[in-house]
Amino acid sequence: MSSLQGYVDRRVLLILQDGRAIVGVMAGFDQKSNVVLSDSKERVYSMEEGVEEIPLGLYLVKGDMIILIGELDETLDKAVDLATIRAEPIPPIRY
Amino acid sequence: MLIFSVFKTLTDQQVTVELKNDLSITGVLKSVDQFLNIRLDNITVLDEARHPHMMAVKNCFIRGSVVRYVQLPAEHVDTQLLEDATRREAQNQIKR
Amino acid sequence: MLPLSLLNAAQNKPMLVELKNGETCNGHLINCDNFMNITLRDVYQTNSDGDRFWKLKECYIRGSTIKYLRIPDILLDAVKEEQVRAREVGRNTRGAHAGGPGNRGGRGASTRGGRGRGGPMRGGRGRGRGVQ
Repeated sequence: MSSLQGYVDRRVLLILQDGRAIVGVMAGFDQKSNVVLSDSKERVYSMEEGVEEIPLGLYLVKGDMIILIGELDETLDKAVDLATIRAEPIPPIRY
Repeated sequence: MLIFSVFKTLTDQQVTVELKNDLSITGVLKSVDQFLNIRLDNITVLDEARHPHMMAVKNCFIRGSVVRYVQLPAEHVDTQLLEDATRREAQNQIKR
Repeated sequence: MLPLSLLNAAQNKPMLVELKNGETCNGHLINCDNFMNITLRDVYQTNSDGDRFWKLKECYIRGSTIKYLRIPDILLDAVKEEQVRAREVGRNTRGAHAGGPGNRGGRGASTRGGRGRGGPMRGGRGRGRGVQ
C-alpha cells in the first residue's frame, strides 16, 4: 500500500494539476488523497524574476487536483536561495 | 489488478515515470497501491536545469491518474510470464 | 488528521473556495458532507480572471468541482485539541464497550470490509488505528 502516512508532520511540496507548487506541513490526508497543509506558501516561478513565495496559511487541497507530493529535505531546501532561481512555471496537465 | 502485481514485483528497482505535464522523474520504486499511485525514493528530475522546482525533494508520492508512462527495467520483467498471466486473466473475465 | 474533520469543524467559519474552473467563492460555511459538497452563506464570487464579482446570499458547491479550500489557521489547533480530548474520553470508556470514540480511527479503513475490525478489537484492547 502506497500511503501518505510517512509525510505527516513533514514539510512537503505539492504540485497541482494547474501547475501550482505549494509547500507546507502535511497536517493530514484521507483515502482520496485529499490533503491538509498548514503554514503553506505558494512558490511562483518565472523567468523574469526570482521565485516569489506567497503565504497561504491553512489549506485543504482536493486529492484529484494533486499530481505529486514530495518530501522536502529541509537542509537542502534552506540552502537554496529562491531569489536566484529562474524557471518556467510547471506546465499544467494535458490529457 | 494484474499491472498492480507487476509493479509490486518491481519494488526496489529503478524506474522512470513520465507525467502528463511532461515531467520525467527517475527513482527507486518504493511502493504502489491499487490506484497505481507510486512512491519513489532518491529521485532525480530529467533536465533538472529547466525544472529546479524539485531540487530539495528526495522522495515523492505520484498520483496514478497523472502518470503517462512508466519506463520499466526490461531485465526485471518476465514478458513471457506476463503474457501468460494476461491470457489467464482474460479467460477468467470471460468465464465471469 | 482527516481533511473532512477539519472541514466539519469549519462550520460558521469564513473560507475561500477555489473551483476547478478558477472561480473563487468567499463565504461562511453553513454545511458540508462526506463528498465535500458544501453550502456557503454571504458569498462573494469572483470569475477566474478576478475582474468580476457577484454577491450571493447563499450558494451550494458540488465537492467534485473544488480545487482547494483556504481555512482560518486557528482551526487546525482547535481540531487537534478536540481530537486529544476525544482520545482521552475514548481511553476512559474503552473496555466497557468497544464502540466509543476510541473506535474513531477504524472508520477510515471501513471501506476494506471487516478487516479493520476483527484484528485490533481482540481482547477489547486494540486502539483501532485504522487511519492508514
